[in-house]
Amino acid sequence: MEHEILLLDGAMGTMLQQAGLPTGQPPELWNLTEPETVAGIQRRYVEAGSRVLFTNTFGANRLKLARSGHSVREVVAGGVRCAREAAGDAPVRVALDIGPLGQLLEPLGTLTFEEAYELFREQVAAGAEAGADLIVIETMSDLYEVKAAVLAAKENSTLPVWVTMTFEQSGRSFVGVTVPAMALTLDGLGVDAMGFNCSLGPRELLPLLKELREWTDKPLILKPNAGLPDPATGEYRISAVSFARQMRPALALGVRMLGGCCGTSPEFIRELAAMAAENVPAAPAPGKKHGVCSGRRAVSLDGVRVIGERINPTGKKRFQQALLEKDVDYIIERGIEQQDAGADILDVNVGLPGVDEPEMMVSVVKALQSVTDLPLQIDSSNPAAIEAGLRAVSGKAIVNSVNGRAEVLDAILPLCKKYGAAVIGLCMDENGIPADWRGRAAIARRILDAALSYGLPREDVYIDCLTLTVSAQQEQARETLRALRYVKEELGLHTVLGVSNVSFGLPARENVTVAFLTQALCAGLDLPIVNPNREAVMNAIAACRVLSGEDADSKAYIDRFAAQPENRTPAAAPESGMSLDDAILRGLGAETARLTVKALMERDELSVINELLIPALDRVGEKYEKQEIFLPQLISAANAACEGFELIKARIARRGGESVSRGKIVLATVHGDIHDIGKNIVRVVLENYGYTVVDLGRDVPAETVVEAVIREDAKLVGLSALMTTTVVSMAETIAAIRRSGHGCRIMVGGAVLTADYAARIGADYYAKDAKQSADIAKKVLG
Amino acid sequence: MEARLTEIDRGEMLRYLLWQGGAIPEEVDAALRRGEERLRETAQPRAVWRVFDYRPGEPLGGTAYIPEGEDVRAFLADCDQVILLAVTLGAGPDLLQRRLRLHDMSGALILDAAGSAAVENVCDNLCADLAAAFAPRHLTDRFSPGYGDLPLNQQRWFFSLLDINRRLGVSLTESGLMVPQKTVTALVGVSDREQPKRPTGCESCALAERCAFRKEGKRCGT
Repeated sequence: MEHEILLLDGAMGTMLQQAGLPTGQPPELWNLTEPETVAGIQRRYVEAGSRVLFTNTFGANRLKLARSGHSVREVVAGGVRCAREAAGDAPVRVALDIGPLGQLLEPLGTLTFEEAYELFREQVAAGAEAGADLIVIETMSDLYEVKAAVLAAKENSTLPVWVTMTFEQSGRSFVGVTVPAMALTLDGLGVDAMGFNCSLGPRELLPLLKELREWTDKPLILKPNAGLPDPATGEYRISAVSFARQMRPALALGVRMLGGCCGTSPEFIRELAAMAAENVPAAPAPGKKHGVCSGRRAVSLDGVRVIGERINPTGKKRFQQALLEKDVDYIIERGIEQQDAGADILDVNVGLPGVDEPEMMVSVVKALQSVTDLPLQIDSSNPAAIEAGLRAVSGKAIVNSVNGRAEVLDAILPLCKKYGAAVIGLCMDENGIPADWRGRAAIARRILDAALSYGLPREDVYIDCLTLTVSAQQEQARETLRALRYVKEELGLHTVLGVSNVSFGLPARENVTVAFLTQALCAGLDLPIVNPNREAVMNAIAACRVLSGEDADSKAYIDRFAAQPENRTPAAAPESGMSLDDAILRGLGAETARLTVKALMERDELSVINELLIPALDRVGEKYEKQEIFLPQLISAANAACEGFELIKARIARRGGESVSRGKIVLATVHGDIHDIGKNIVRVVLENYGYTVVDLGRDVPAETVVEAVIREDAKLVGLSALMTTTVVSMAETIAAIRRSGHGCRIMVGGAVLTADYAARIGADYYAKDAKQSADIAKKVLG
Repeated sequence: MEARLTEIDRGEMLRYLLWQGGAIPEEVDAALRRGEERLRETAQPRAVWRVFDYRPGEPLGGTAYIPEGEDVRAFLADCDQVILLAVTLGAGPDLLQRRLRLHDMSGALILDAAGSAAVENVCDNLCADLAAAFAPRHLTDRFSPGYGDLPLNQQRWFFSLLDINRRLGVSLTESGLMVPQKTVTALVGVSDREQPKRPTGCESCALAERCAFRKEGKRCGT
């Protein structure tokens, strides 16, 4: 059985349409109304040679069945019944078929991961109850959605789980998933088989299959369409014979499960059976590639990969303030900054007294995933926060960290196994950090053994030999490097090391840090944890990549420095003679920041805000009203002013002072509406007038707005709706706020609104544009 | 017939940005160019279309869908076939916009405008290709759900008849909005007679409802 070919079935939708299913009707309903037809089609597949039947339940989720008058349980049970009936006494397994939910998940869409999980859970429970033999999650293009489905399958049944995804010829799925990211994520989640279905024809899928094979040794599945459809008619064009012929090369790649998707029929399966009878699939070659990934992109560990350390409150007042104020945007901007500076992976640490760490971990992980496609490293000592982070993360993460203590290993390693994460093991235990490299090596071995015993693959265990401060313990730098060399060469594991610590307490720290980093890289460090914004650090890494041969032909190195003129003097920017007004008006952020610093030498923070920044913004606003400038300029100006404000905020935070705010405003794009660009513009402008904005996002239910208004005791609420269809929910939200009895003022805006209409639905103010919203805020809040 | 993005019309972008004339300073010009580049780097144009037989008041051939409303009936008066089409720029621009929102809202807005202009261009190219393929017959202009009295809820039919969710990776929310946002659906009539260019006035403009010019009683001039 191990290496035998397993024949799956062919298309169901195509066959049902031929049997008279009207377009537009959910095909799953025929499980209840036309069960003989459904079972009849499946019986023909069994006769043709299919040994696994997929139930006719592709879209049997609560969202798609909403208007059908039937429950998920009913329709799924009907689907399993039909397949069982068709299988009869034949040795055929019945697979519960689960397709995409039909709504895009966050961050692209508004369906949350947790909601998706719940929808899949219902399907899984129904399928397991009805007696399915396995679960097939198919035609997926988003790994986040796949993760929700796989977790739902594994947490609510004991059935084997197969996953097939759909890709484009570009080698990516619709939402940008790459094949390595798919392989790493699914391998990590412990699916029993993976592959491709739908998408394209067999010939077009072959290169993708080859790539998949390089990244996983799991059994592979191939269930392609009958070629590409004729655009005019939607019909598929290749014959059953050429389909089978095109499928043959897949066997050499070790594909074991074969079937067809759109446009195929029992005849296709018969031809496949004939082809399969004469061929044997190859066994997977050993030595697959490995690494970590986000929901879209993989980072392979075949060279030096930089882990950015800046998302961490330790010693950073401004970051701590952001955590306490739940200012997630500030935090994720640190992620973008590090990505731009060359980080390959982002460490995420949000632990701080007074912060609900699991909850904050989920918000930050999700927010980061909406703006960057770097893999994440969940950094916490709190197992609940680690699990919350691992659940919310899309792709394959790293857990930072475990150590040699048995109770830590027993608490964290099962989580890494379940969610498919790599893990960092620190070379320390209940007795502290061994002073001798041999002691650290022994702990590394212990961690490795424990990880293996929990079923983690060897390549997912990364060891941190720990950096100590040379100004306190000078001999320790050598011990760390020796331990590192041992772990790399003798244990053959990947190594990780935070390096900046080494120079603590010394003058001109960067010299020591960079020298140590260079030596560590030379000793075999794969994953330096550093501040990528430090140019000297990243320069050293770029240089080491040249010396190790990783940077072929020194291309990346040359590109890095080609753009930079030799001998530049960044600190001494010439005096431009520009005024703060000019800088803001022209949207020059760096210049605004420089001039703000200069102004702060002569005035205190508040007067810089009230006498310089705000009046400058006011003048920009006037120009906008007179149509001397247009919207992008207004926003650029606000963004530039932001640089000045941010500087002042950081300065006050360092001093431990109260944050400056002219008052709180709650903003939301109303329920049903996903166009939030207008609201985002308003937000930028209001923030830069010094107001604190609580941004609830888009598609926000009325009760969430009411809760926020009461919780924040906001004096002003701004609601936005872009479509006529969603102005209705704007009216409902206003009514809900009024019913709550909170006396806040409400301003509304949005493309389809007018002043009249705003008054009619009970708003206090109509803001025709972002500038007016600032005027209203001034009127209400001062 | 591939979906092609060939040009991002600067004038159109400026209209989406509510530009009312006047000088465009150097830094704004640079920002506009950057927006066009970003759009080109992230967009993955895709299209799907299908032809149906059409008779007024009856369902499209082989389906149960009757396009609703007087406007579309008048629009298709001379036609015996209808092409339903959908065009998207994919998820890339949406994702980049979420990122830009944080540190470059102006860039996000410009990217949005570039996306709107670009998706129109992809539609224009597709329609030009269709016109060539259907020659010597003639095509009408495009007509989308939400125009005139063709209700937005008709999107559901476009989604099911063109299998848009699966073939373009676009989803339709409960409230009738499409994600990724730079997506257009439309119907185009096919006739033996030459079709008049419909006035490209406000009545047939996708922005009609939310146009800042109209709110102030002005017109954009196209």
